[in-house]
Amino acid sequence: MAWLTEQEAKAKRKTDIGPPHYSKMLPPVIAKNYGKWKYHEVLTPGSMVHVAESGDKVYTVRVASPRLLATSNIRILLDIADKYCDGYIRWTTRNNVEFMTTKEENVAQIKKAAQDAGYPAGGIGPGLSNMVHTQGWVHCHSACTDASGLVKAIMDELFPYFNEKRLPAKTRFALACCVNMCGAVHCSDLAVVAIHRKVPEIDHDNVKNMCEIPTTVSACPTRAISPDPAKKSIKINPDKCMYCGNCFTVCPPINIHNPEQDGVAIVVGGKVGSLRKGPSFSKLAIPYIKNNPPRWPEVVDAVKNILDTYAKGARKHERLGEWIDRIGWEAFFRETGIPFTYQHIDDFTFARDTFRTSAAFKW
Amino acid sequence: MEVKELQDKIYAFVQAAKGKKKLKEKDIIKGVSADTGETPDAVKKAMREMIDVGRLMYSYGGGSSSVEIPSEEYLREKGMIK
Amino acid sequence: MKKYETPLLDELEKGPWPSFVKEMKTAAQKSEMANDELGQLEKSYKDRRGYWKHGGIVGVLGYGGGVIGRYSSLPNEFPGVAHFHTVRINQPSGMFYKTDALRTILDLWDEYGSGLTNMHGSTGDMVMLGCRTEALEPFFAEVTSRGWDLGGSGSALRTPACCLGKARCEWANIDTMDICNHLTQMYQDYLHRPAWPYKFKFKVAGCAVDCVASIARADCSIIGTWKGKIAVDQAAVKDYAKGGMDIQAEIVDMCPTGCMSYDGGELKIDDANCSRCMHCISKMTKALKGTGEKGASILIGSKAPIVVGSLLSWVIVPFMKMEPPYTEFTELVEKIWEWWDDNAKPRERIGELIEMKGMRSFLEAIGVEPQAQQVFEPRKDPFFFWKDEDLNGNK
Repeated sequence: MAWLTEQEAKAKRKTDIGPPHYSKMLPPVIAKNYGKWKYHEVLTPGSMVHVAESGDKVYTVRVASPRLLATSNIRILLDIADKYCDGYIRWTTRNNVEFMTTKEENVAQIKKAAQDAGYPAGGIGPGLSNMVHTQGWVHCHSACTDASGLVKAIMDELFPYFNEKRLPAKTRFALACCVNMCGAVHCSDLAVVAIHRKVPEIDHDNVKNMCEIPTTVSACPTRAISPDPAKKSIKINPDKCMYCGNCFTVCPPINIHNPEQDGVAIVVGGKVGSLRKGPSFSKLAIPYIKNNPPRWPEVVDAVKNILDTYAKGARKHERLGEWIDRIGWEAFFRETGIPFTYQHIDDFTFARDTFRTSAAFKW
Repeated sequence: MEVKELQDKIYAFVQAAKGKKKLKEKDIIKGVSADTGETPDAVKKAMREMIDVGRLMYSYGGGSSSVEIPSEEYLREKGMIK
Repeated sequence: MKKYETPLLDELEKGPWPSFVKEMKTAAQKSEMANDELGQLEKSYKDRRGYWKHGGIVGVLGYGGGVIGRYSSLPNEFPGVAHFHTVRINQPSGMFYKTDALRTILDLWDEYGSGLTNMHGSTGDMVMLGCRTEALEPFFAEVTSRGWDLGGSGSALRTPACCLGKARCEWANIDTMDICNHLTQMYQDYLHRPAWPYKFKFKVAGCAVDCVASIARADCSIIGTWKGKIAVDQAAVKDYAKGGMDIQAEIVDMCPTGCMSYDGGELKIDDANCSRCMHCISKMTKALKGTGEKGASILIGSKAPIVVGSLLSWVIVPFMKMEPPYTEFTELVEKIWEWWDDNAKPRERIGELIEMKGMRSFLEAIGVEPQAQQVFEPRKDPFFFWKDEDLNGNK
């Protein structure tokens, strides 16, 4: 293949056509039984079967992916789909790959072929699915930790919960490499979010040239930023700054990055489904763990401790947040051995709803 | 007003804001419509034609999008100037 | 090609989980860009910081979205990532692919880009990582000539996303993939040309299990629901009991409204008091099924915590029929956009604007009546607004 010339490119380009229609991408058994599915059963953590009103069955094998994929390796997955799935494949909203087949005997072979290529099956039902995560140092200016590396280190350790062991309920784990949270970290059972801890440093000369002062001032949620007319720049009140980095987003010369102090927080107990108690935000479990690449052992230990404690204490079908609601947060900190600190007590927008207004609590 | 004349007004409006304020589409549509008496739809259409040929361009910075006059580098890359 | 030593990243090739380092090394065998990306990432691991500049001003002619500029802050050391832009390709609804169709994109990406991708980005697009500026137009031409297009970015409509819905799920109350595709096609202009105060996201979920996280991550969450009873197949209930399910503990006692009872034989549901949360249906999918009128709840406003805290979407229209061409829905959405566009400050999301202006202003602007389903409980304080029209007739 050779690059298009400018004229060729102009002649070929179309605009506003949108993506291909999904109907061109559906396996025949899916197209045939569209809207007419009767039930499904989870067979193993890596496979399930859907049964249609027509009696047709489709077996799905779900396999892990690191989300960051090379074209050459995607082709290996496509080859497996050609061999066993009539040339169709799909991805899930949590970056897993799904192979669908009408032949039960293909299930084991798909699993083996994917495993041989380095993509093990799992993630279905009451266990751990793939982690939703962000770009990290791989591709983002705003990242204060890496995303892919942390996910790899964590999922290596928690792998049995993906691939074979069951949990009381499904557990949705996410990771965001800064508080902009390009993944659904704020409503996850368990999540890692990278944070800053120091007031940003201001490159005044560049602020003058590159930034709109009123926009920068109004970007601050805690009103820590005010104009500095003498420098034609801004100043930051360190007593008010909560290190969210929104000023850095609107004005790059305000540098919030600090490799010595940046790190991650662990939040727990969120969910998005309306089942039982309804959707809820994740809440702070651990305010800070330092960045320790390449394998972040302290973070891995911390999340494993939380997940193991949940697995031991929760009742069947209880999501992590429902378990904590039942036993109480004071019991959560007791059971996990996580210290409770000033950072755990909200002093921002949700504070009022979180202070205890009852004489009933546990020790 | 002739489309070309309207487009010159739009261009002048964007040029006047250069380095002072990042203009969103809406700022231009409102501003030029008020200045010229043309309808917002007419201004939008004229502006979009300018964007389609690279006389204006969408830009992005500080977490949001805006409309700007393209740099020479951009025009060269798009084959709009040699 | 320069060979980078990557002792830190090499540690992330060990273990059972698929390794992104392996992916990067695979791409690096064919691409200088991917190779320098690997080199730069090793340096990030060593220094515990990223080396990317803020996004820049790049894109394809006429569009304001779909391409996110990315430049290395160390272009001399890593020339292959001097430009390393992201191209978002709009995924087909439901993320099903015919392998041939996907291979076409992969072949193009090997030609014009780094060979690295994200399948998929958080919003749902296929994300092509690492394109040089001069490759953007020819890549775009190739992609569009084969029937694909770019997704959204910037202050625009973002690529709509959905769960797979009726394609392979018995719980889908609405045709999520069709709604998603319809909105994507109908609003191509809003998707590609940023005209708004900030981003706006649609996510379409077939039921309240919400596999696409619409209630947490979409300015407009469309969540399938039903109005009739839950049909109970008592024979299937017996099978679940025989199979070892403790129906009292796992189903009846976990029902949030206490609307179920079980005497060891029959499972009974007091449908008038069911909130349709999906717990029992999801656990006994062979035995229970929502019936009657199907449609969606329309919720508005969710977003991540920047700037003053996360929001979950709020119920605005408790029930709406969702049938093609979805006119009732699109008319509502266009009213929402108009009010938001007229009133929001730069970078203000719809949820934040509703908080700022008050839910009443919003509901009046879009012509939706107050309903008890919109709140968990009425206000607790005695401070409320009265307008002249409220006083007329001494209401």
